[in-house]
Amino acid sequence: MKIALSWIKEFVDLNGISTDEIVSQLTMSGLEVEDVVDQSNLYKNFIVGFVKETQKHPNADKLTICKVFDGKDDLQVICGASNVSAGQKIVFAPIGTEIPNGNFVIKKAKIRGVESNGMICAEDELLLSDDHSGIMVLDEKLEAGKSITEALNLNDVILEIAITPNRPDALSHIGVARDLAALFDRDLIIPEIKLSESSEDVNKLASVIIEDEVNCPRYIAKVVKDVKIKESPKWLKDRLEKIGLRPRNNIVDITNLVLHECGQPLHAFDLDKLSDHKIVVKSTKSETSFTSLDSKERKLPLNTLMICDASREVAIAGVMGGENSEITETTKNILIESAYFHPSSIRKTSKTLGLSTDASYRFERGTDPNITKYAAERCAQLVADLADGKIANGIIDVYPKVINPKEIELRFSRTTKILGYDVASEKIKNILSRLGLAIKVLDEDKLLVSVPTFRPDIEREIDLIEEIARINGYDNIPTVSKINITLEKKTDETEVDEKIRQAATSLGFFEMINNPLQSEKEVKISGSPVKLANPLSADMEYLRSTLISGALITVSKNLRQGVKDIKLFEIGDVFNKTNEGEIKSFDDFTEDQNLLFIISGKEQDKGWNTEVIDSDFYLLKGLVDSFLAKVSLDNVLNDSYYAAANEIYAYYLTKNSNGVELGKGGKIKSDVLKQFDINQDVYCFEFNFTHLKNVKAKNNGYVDPLKYPKIIRDFAFVLDKSVKYLDVKEFIKKKSSNLLKEVSVFDIFENETLGENKKSIAFTLEFYDKDRTLTEDEVEKDFNNLISLITKEFNAQLRGK
Amino acid sequence: MLDKNITEIKESFYTDIKSVSSIKDIEEIRLKYFSRNGLVSQLFEDLKDVVKEEKPILGKKLNLLRNEVSSYFEEVKERISSTQSNKENEIDLTLPGKNYIVGSKHILTQTLDEIKSIFKGLGFSVANGPELESDYYNFESLNFPADHPARDMQDTFFVSKDFLLRTHTTPVQIRLMEKQAPPVRAIMPGRVYRNEAVSARSYCMFHQVDGIYVDTDVTFAELKGTLVSFAKQFYGSDLKYRFRPSFFPFTEPSAEMDITCYLCHGKGCKICKNSGWLEILGCGMVDPNVFKFVNYDSEKYTGYAFGMGIERIALLKYGITDIRIFFDNDLRFLKQF
Ligand SMILES: [Zn+2]
Repeated sequence: MKIALSWIKEFVDLNGISTDEIVSQLTMSGLEVEDVVDQSNLYKNFIVGFVKETQKHPNADKLTICKVFDGKDDLQVICGASNVSAGQKIVFAPIGTEIPNGNFVIKKAKIRGVESNGMICAEDELLLSDDHSGIMVLDEKLEAGKSITEALNLNDVILEIAITPNRPDALSHIGVARDLAALFDRDLIIPEIKLSESSEDVNKLASVIIEDEVNCPRYIAKVVKDVKIKESPKWLKDRLEKIGLRPRNNIVDITNLVLHECGQPLHAFDLDKLSDHKIVVKSTKSETSFTSLDSKERKLPLNTLMICDASREVAIAGVMGGENSEITETTKNILIESAYFHPSSIRKTSKTLGLSTDASYRFERGTDPNITKYAAERCAQLVADLADGKIANGIIDVYPKVINPKEIELRFSRTTKILGYDVASEKIKNILSRLGLAIKVLDEDKLLVSVPTFRPDIEREIDLIEEIARINGYDNIPTVSKINITLEKKTDETEVDEKIRQAATSLGFFEMINNPLQSEKEVKISGSPVKLANPLSADMEYLRSTLISGALITVSKNLRQGVKDIKLFEIGDVFNKTNEGEIKSFDDFTEDQNLLFIISGKEQDKGWNTEVIDSDFYLLKGLVDSFLAKVSLDNVLNDSYYAAANEIYAYYLTKNSNGVELGKGGKIKSDVLKQFDINQDVYCFEFNFTHLKNVKAKNNGYVDPLKYPKIIRDFAFVLDKSVKYLDVKEFIKKKSSNLLKEVSVFDIFENETLGENKKSIAFTLEFYDKDRTLTEDEVEKDFNNLISLITKEFNAQLRGK
Repeated sequence: MLDKNITEIKESFYTDIKSVSSIKDIEEIRLKYFSRNGLVSQLFEDLKDVVKEEKPILGKKLNLLRNEVSSYFEEVKERISSTQSNKENEIDLTLPGKNYIVGSKHILTQTLDEIKSIFKGLGFSVANGPELESDYYNFESLNFPADHPARDMQDTFFVSKDFLLRTHTTPVQIRLMEKQAPPVRAIMPGRVYRNEAVSARSYCMFHQVDGIYVDTDVTFAELKGTLVSFAKQFYGSDLKYRFRPSFFPFTEPSAEMDITCYLCHGKGCKICKNSGWLEILGCGMVDPNVFKFVNYDSEKYTGYAFGMGIERIALLKYGITDIRIFFDNDLRFLKQF
């Protein structure tokens, strides 16, 4: 919101206080000043120029060569605007002037071969408006060479203030002035209105009925007759332009002025267009079509609060007037509306229509029901003064239930308890009074504070404490240097995540963070993803149900960037619907934390002394098993193997605990890869981390390093190709004596000499005992026994030997 | 004459051997002094021409010299050859070492780790909560009434009328207080979502850390003390700060904490929008209405709460200009941290 300091100074005496101080105090009391425009500094070099002659530029159709008189000399200036012509007074930027819009400095230049010594300005270049349709043409009576800060009265300071939603009272000049009065301990001055009314009774000219008292607790109408619609006087236009408003005609400008002065939105109807000269405030009973004064036809839903006349709707209450009752050049008599509408009713209308106006913005935050009369009278008097109208006698004020100030008790002791320091009671009383709150001392510790209706945000004692804190300054609250720490156990629910991340990074994985919002095509690769009701765009319409989709998006993006070797992990939440219906409770969906590993390309590039390691299923399996070992979950989970494809994997394994699947991974199917535009093999493993966390890690304690030697034996068998390594291994373990402790594979191959559908698997066996040295004989016996058993069981043939 | 030569050769030997650094140098010295025609052998030749009376003395002197320099020579030779292997299998130490890939946590995780460790040191626990939240936890219990303009402060993704993607990690405060009686002191990191157009400055999801402390005597002064301690540990102990009033529905009074812009040191620049200050977190005293929702007695207990965005902190700290780079997961970016 824009505030002009000159305007503020009508309501509070700020003599002797610098702009910097005002800005800093406002920011430090909660009215954050986001921008300061000091016009006398901004426009110090601009002067009034006189265009003496013009001629066409010889080399450019759209350019004009102007002879501009700057008060002393005639200067040649090139102008690109089509509305420039001889005899105009214009805003002239001499060489060396900094142009506010764009921060550039005017230099002597040759434009298409012709010299130019300055610039003739448009409104947008001066940040006066967005208008760039042509140059600003000034009053011809202005004297050439005069500074525009003086000639155009551009010597104000304009503040852009961010008003938080709890402070509707500060959405006007009087509102901001009230805070300044409290901050600088000065008086707030609200000028009295001297109404001059005619003898004609307002009740004979118009009537008001409120049918919806809940949504419209108060409606005031004031009538002014015989007005002349015309341009506003210069002071009024200046004032509105300074705060970024475009002047329209005197009546509209006056309502805007009063709004920005005291915060009360007003609306002026053409009284003669209101059938029966009647106002009825009621809500729509059915869907209604209505043309607002911006000439747009709008569909109004059921229960929209409307202003009607005897026969039809004439305005959307609190939001915008209607075309059918609008003020035009021929309007003679007007009815000024000054009402209080219920905030949530106006918010609902504004939201459903997608229409936010200066009026709706204030009504939905909460206006002051008791400023309505002041605003109506102020407006009427200005209309009388500036539009030559005659104010009808009296006021129509429908206010069935008067809204009174709230009374709140404030304890000094409570103030200290919240803020952590004592604010002197006299200081507290002064702050509250300056803010317009009435106080009564109840006892030593207690005040009874009466909060006027312009502060709907102050409802409780704590709200008063905030007022004290912010006006007295947060800087005055001490900063303690000691705190109490209790000795009970601290918990960290993210601790396990951190261990997981450590394990993953130590295995060479980089952590990625993917956007859980993805397109339908992406998330639909598995699960029952949750759809957003109001997505930002179609490519972010769903919440992911798996981490795989996001990971594949990332792989694809990296490949496009030429990064082909991928080793990534992610910990993140995934969401799945548990039934078809709308989500109404936490039972209708699951949110699980998942953990995903993904590899593709080379794990290790060929170096001068390193061999290439390509990503494949066994690399993935090894990494996943190493990871589980790092987090003490090795030999806790069981593997299951699936050679046939599912919806995502060409082949895969699962990790299970007590029959529950905790993770799954393998080679991504090529049609899935194609969908993500990936043209190299990708291997991926995903754990349900929420469930994995619940698996009890093994805790074998400490094992003494072996003190006696191991005896190691190898053998290799030719087997049918269909025989699985694991089956042989399990068989060996089952059939051997307890001296055999480890079985591992050290070679596998196939070739013609072995025969068709045959392969060779070579095993290493480790025999030992932790309490004694084994003899060759006992190992030999076990070993030979195994050979004959394997040969029989698997129809195998011992190789070599 | 020979006497003088002995002294000179001794001196020259020690000068030469000082500059020895390779096996090649050693060989040169051997040739110069100890070979058949070397300087030391030459001295013994010269001894033959010395008069008879001087022979025993000079002979003894010469033997001493030979023993001294040759034993020193052997010592140096040993040292040099132990550090440099001989020519046949000389190793090229300049070749690059084997390449080991060590992964890394995402930069946002690392930033969060740092924040967590500071608050854990200040006695805070760490708690989690769901991202897909109910309207009740995200808004209602945090004193955002339905149809209130305060809700406009946080553009929300809804999945149904009553369920949404949380817009802040503050709902975890409610979940925590529902579970336990005061004192409660915890931070709550996590992912949040806002229905805002994606640009260099804002993304539809980001990460936050919220914090809360509720006990019998918690004051605004302690809120300031704790957050100043955090900021000094995180940003440096010489930092300047300010607390300025603001508005959050779940705290009253509310504040925003600014620190001096580290780029311009308060003079004003593009990053701080010429104010000289950078906003780093929002905070305030827990609103009594929030206590009502979790059945805490607001007369007995007071508390403070705060929240900060992790992306914003990382952007500032690493001078990153586009927030989207955090979620692009370009390995060339990830590997830098
Ligand atoms: Zn700066």
